[in-house]
Amino acid sequence: MFLRLLFESFRRQKRRKSVALLAIALGMSIATAMIAVGNDIGDKINQELRSLGANLVITPIEDTLDVNIGGVNLKPASEGAVINEQELIKIKGIFWGHNIKGYAPFLNAPQKIQTRNGEVDAELIGTYFAQPLHYGKDQFFTGVRSVNPWWKVEGAWPPDYGDFPEQFPPDVLAGSKLAQQAGLSVGDQIEIGGRKLRISGILNSGGEEDQSIVAALHIAQKLLGQPNAVRRVTVSALTKPEDAFARKDPDKMSPAVRDRWYCSPYANSIAYQLREVLPNVRVEQIRQVEQNQGKVLSRVSGLMLLLTLAALLAAALTVSAAMAATILERRQEVGLMKSLGAGNSVVASLFLTEAAFLALAGGLMGFLAGALLAHRIGQSIFGSAIVVHPVVLAVVLFAAVLVTFLGSVGAVRKAMQFDPAVVLRGNA
Amino acid sequence: MNRTQLLLRLLLKAAWVRKDRAFTALVSVAVVATIATAALTIYSDLEGKLSHEFRGFGANVIVTKNSGALTPGELADMRKIVGSTGEIVPVGYAIATETTSKARIVVGGADVDKLRELNSSWSFSNAGHGSTLVGARVDETLAHGADLQISFGKASTSIKAGTVFHSGSDDDSRIYLPLEDFMRLTSIQPNTALVRIEGKPQQIQSAISQLSAALPDVEVKPVRQITQAQTAVVGKTRSVVLASSAVVVVLIMLCMVATFTGSVLERRKDFAVMKALGASNRAVNFLFASEAALLALTGSVAGYILGCGVAFWIGKANFDAAILPQPLLLLPVLLGSVVLALIASTAPLRLLQQIQPAGILRGE
Repeated sequence: MFLRLLFESFRRQKRRKSVALLAIALGMSIATAMIAVGNDIGDKINQELRSLGANLVITPIEDTLDVNIGGVNLKPASEGAVINEQELIKIKGIFWGHNIKGYAPFLNAPQKIQTRNGEVDAELIGTYFAQPLHYGKDQFFTGVRSVNPWWKVEGAWPPDYGDFPEQFPPDVLAGSKLAQQAGLSVGDQIEIGGRKLRISGILNSGGEEDQSIVAALHIAQKLLGQPNAVRRVTVSALTKPEDAFARKDPDKMSPAVRDRWYCSPYANSIAYQLREVLPNVRVEQIRQVEQNQGKVLSRVSGLMLLLTLAALLAAALTVSAAMAATILERRQEVGLMKSLGAGNSVVASLFLTEAAFLALAGGLMGFLAGALLAHRIGQSIFGSAIVVHPVVLAVVLFAAVLVTFLGSVGAVRKAMQFDPAVVLRGNA
Repeated sequence: MNRTQLLLRLLLKAAWVRKDRAFTALVSVAVVATIATAALTIYSDLEGKLSHEFRGFGANVIVTKNSGALTPGELADMRKIVGSTGEIVPVGYAIATETTSKARIVVGGADVDKLRELNSSWSFSNAGHGSTLVGARVDETLAHGADLQISFGKASTSIKAGTVFHSGSDDDSRIYLPLEDFMRLTSIQPNTALVRIEGKPQQIQSAISQLSAALPDVEVKPVRQITQAQTAVVGKTRSVVLASSAVVVVLIMLCMVATFTGSVLERRKDFAVMKALGASNRAVNFLFASEAALLALTGSVAGYILGCGVAFWIGKANFDAAILPQPLLLLPVLLGSVVLALIASTAPLRLLQQIQPAGILRGE
């Protein structure tokens, strides 16, 4: 009998049910889309913040002070210590290796450069552009093209030579300011240490590199006679904003606390892990980047969290109101059932079961629509999908049932308060 | 009783007799107005609020004079363009020698307090009482927390152990002295200025072009990764807020329209009785429409006030600065709600008009 009542109610009141279903589905697609976007926004903005460049820098511990004014390096090539390039691949092997978005090694020294207009002093910088590397089974590319995305090249990026090609002059980049001063342009040949190089592009970085010649690392190593040498490595890592716990000294922690610290992607713990794999290096946060990106990130995520909460509350209220409205219109039905002898509990359970069906169906529809919306938002703004976690489905279904119940319970109670006779007469 | 009085009575009674029905409609309108107001208010202020968060990145423009020092006139011109919210820190650099190890150190001269303020991301630890800022690597390799003896040409000076800072940049290999001490030692005047321009990305861009135009002898270089990241993050965040607000507002509007339409359809009996008593289609339409308009107006005023409150609170909670109400939004929000409610309530009437009143009353 109960099932039949339920079934007939859905069959005969299609219009009323579809209004309620539509309201629930709309409310729940808001919930799904906002939860998905709010949950993913941190990662997405973190990726955008990588355009600030590296947030960690590795230097040899024995190194002497940098002597650098206005982009001119006055430290001779022979001075200071170096890091072994072969060791660098270990960077990918640390606990948070997946969070290392890329790294770029640098080897630099002031050089005399022969151009067709005469000799100039400039810095020679060797680095990876987009060097292919293997770690385990993974192949990945790393270098300044991904780590320093603000570097712009007019012309072509040079390849990352494995060794100095003897048959033809290898390609290098000339900094824009140097090119202007020395009258260099794309296709020109220059000479460093008696070896010919060809300029394939003009680099505009807005920084000190604009006054330098930038070559593939292995070319610079050969020209400077320092095989496998690297002076500095900048690392771009996805990190969690620093908090008080992050600043604690791991060596003074209890093992359990230390594990928790070690397994959080703080810049400090990633720096600690880098020091573990690379002997005799200092790893320092590039504080300008690291400290501020956390602040910006937490502001953006915080904003989205609050907006999500507001939207969820709004959706809940609207769905409850819609549910209440449809039930309030059915007081005559309640009156009829009660006058035929139905108890309050039977009437209530009928209405609530109906509400639960509506909630589940509406919740599912809303989830699918919301997931689609979130996907579209991710694609159009960030160019990468926002993936909706399956857990959200459970949350949304639960929320749908809860919200429709909240809307229904009050209305059902109200409807039952009236005397059936009065309701049926149409006076209530 | 004339027609106006009758209309008013009908309107009031309709709301009063079925309070709960009026209330649910009111809630759904108010929610739409609240969320629309809050989202739009936040969106309109977001660029400024987020840009403000980028102040911590320090200098976003570096101004260098290639020959000679920056003149007071040039500094005054810069101040005029940068405005009172920005910061300008003139810095001079020289290479000094540490007397015992003969190591070369870059020494900078600047207003030390202003430099600290500009580079708020650096971490400082107080090692002594001196007024100098000693880079972390200088402290590690040479000073070890003690005083330093440095010489420049024939002049030499002792640097009292001061504050040690970590920056992670080239600055870690430098020492910053108060400007007067620096000039006494080296007789060099500042030729560089670290400039932080505050504002939205396009304001920063226009200030940079003004600087380049006003100072022809000087090189003006934006710190590109910072300005670029600011543009990207602020732009993308605005788009996300706009897109998600649009989704929420549109869906919740549809939800409201559905509720409204539903409740009008439920009143088919009222409609039929009125028609049976001889009311014209126009009169019935007018009655339903004015009821809806009245509800929407009340609901949206409440929603606007609530929405301003929500935006204000979100600003306080997230940015530590209130997001103020936008009076310009009041009219669109009110009009939008009323128009929506009118559409939602009169559209179903058209459906009902096709049915004979007698049929509805009989329960078809």
